[in-house]
This record gives sequence, structure tokens and C-alpha cells, in this order.
Amino acid sequence: MLGKLRIVLWGLVLVAGAALAFLLTRPEQKLPAPTQTELPLAAIGGPFTLVGADGQPFGSTKLAGKPFAIFFGFTHCPDVCPTTLARLTRLRRELGKGDDSFAIVFVSVDPERDGPAEVGKYAELFDTPVIGLTGSQAQVDQVKKQYAVFSAKAPQPGGDYSVDHTASVFVMDRAGKFVSTIAPEESDSVALAKLRRVTG
Amino acid sequence: MRLFVLTLVVALAGCGGASPRIKVSDAWARATAPGQTGGAIYATIVNDGGADELVGVSTGAGNAMLHSNESVDGVARMRMMAALPVPARSRVTLAPGAVHVMLGGLKAPLAAGSSFPATFTFAKSGARTVEVAVVAAGSR
Repeated sequence: MLGKLRIVLWGLVLVAGAALAFLLTRPEQKLPAPTQTELPLAAIGGPFTLVGADGQPFGSTKLAGKPFAIFFGFTHCPDVCPTTLARLTRLRRELGKGDDSFAIVFVSVDPERDGPAEVGKYAELFDTPVIGLTGSQAQVDQVKKQYAVFSAKAPQPGGDYSVDHTASVFVMDRAGKFVSTIAPEESDSVALAKLRRVTG
Repeated sequence: MRLFVLTLVVALAGCGGASPRIKVSDAWARATAPGQTGGAIYATIVNDGGADELVGVSTGAGNAMLHSNESVDGVARMRMMAALPVPARSRVTLAPGAVHVMLGGLKAPLAAGSSFPATFTFAKSGARTVEVAVVAAGSR
């Protein structure tokens, strides 16, 4: 009787040992390959100089003292960019603290096609203040790096091209510090809560 | 003869039976800025019958293509779609940030308050022409 129990107990020890060995040696779960530069969140943002719709240099100091929501896209973008900007203007209305509560900033990642006039006319579409910015390729690349934004040309039939790009909005506080992102798939109530945090 | 009828019944059943009953409604587009060559048409397709497929959209406003929008690791990518399935008894919405009709090579800016015709072509139901309402960019 005791002998049988001993065999069962040793059996359990073996099972536990095997389970432990499996846990220790199983391969780590593969993470999807990162498609954008990994930056510590606190490092997102920082001073930049781009070009405004008037063709004059636009320094980030012009945004100082006011929270802002910054989005990267291109004016030929038929869906995601106008959808995101329309959403931001709607959220700003719903917040009910006026057009001054936070700035909406649109940065073109397609400076080849988007000059100051193009981003200016695009920003004016929304009937509420939107700051449209572009710059030299080097200036745009620098800001993309600061915000860990990815973009790449995607050729279209007929020689045209679209641009794949990071679709999240970056919410920055009054001091220009990164607070959170707003992803397209997030609900309006979540997005509003994030905007309230910086405009409160 | 009996065999023939039986074969016919089986063949019809294989086709999925009911023919589609397609209606396209609430077609709209956002206003575009001067010089902007791209835009998008959104719409609702209601099908009260059997399965069908949207195989193309055409409009005099520009080149129209069916596009899907996917977000991979936070990066938005637009890709062409050859066809959009419209299942039996379903409502398929072409909505911002999802499947939409991409307009390229716009000949003139789409002005808020105006409208333009677009023809949606289905594999079985044929063509449906609707007026696309252009709305202010920030309104929807």
C-alpha cells in the first residue's frame, strides 16, 4: 500500500518537473516586427522647425502654452487623413472649450507634393482652425524621427503613389510634452478623455 | 424527365437560390481642397435578396477604385480591392477608415453642398447610379 503511494507521488514529481522544464525552455512568443522606430514615450516630441501655409518658417515655439494634437499625413490622402482631421475638429467641438482649447496640427509626410499652399488649402477645408505644416524633406524627416512616425510611398496604378503612414494622433500638453496617442480604432469617449486631460 | 427536373432543382439550389435585391443609399463624399486630387465616396448597400458582389464604381468626377483600409502596427495602408462581397440579406457600409471608393485624379474640387452621380456595378444586379452628396469636410 505504502509502496503504491510512493510510486504515485514520484509520478507527480516527474509531471511537475516536466511542466517546469517546459515553462523554462519554451520559445519566447514572437512579437510582430516593429515598423516604426521605438522611442521612449517621454522622448516623443521636442522642438522643431517646419514651414507654415504662408511659406514662412514655423517653429514649435508658436505652439507653446497651448496643448496640441498633432497628426502626420498627406493632402492627397483620400480617407484616413480627412477622417482623422474631421474627427479631431468634431472632438474639439464636443469638448466645448472653444477652438483655443487645443491646436490641431497637420504635418505632411509628402513634402514632394505638398507645398505650403497645398497644406494651407487642405487645413482650411475644415472650417475651424487647423495648422497645416510642411517643410523640406530633411525637416519633415527630422520631425518624423522625433515623433517615431513611419511613412513610405506605396505606388498606385498609373504612376501615382499613396503613402502608408502612422495613423495615430499625438496628444501633447501645454509644455509640449507627450501625453498620449489617439488611435483611429479608439472610441470617441476614450479620445475625449485623453483630450480633457490636457485641456482641463 | 424526372432526372432532368431533379438536376435543375439541384443546380438552382447550388446557385444560392434567390436573386439579389440591391439598393445603394446615403452616398456621400467629403469636400476636397483645390489641387487635392484624391477623395473618397462612402455609401450604404442594402441587399434584401441573395448574395452579390460590388465589382466596380465609376464616376465622371475622377477615377474610382475600391479600396480597403488596414491598420498594421498603427500604420494605415490603403489597398485596392477587386470586389466587395455583399452577402445575402445584408447591409454593407462603405465608411471612413474602412472600405471606401477611392477617387483619384479629381478634375475639380468637390464643393460642399454639391452632388455628382456615381455608378455602382454589381456582378449579378448590374448597375445602380446614385447621387453622391458632397458635405463639408469637418461635418461627418
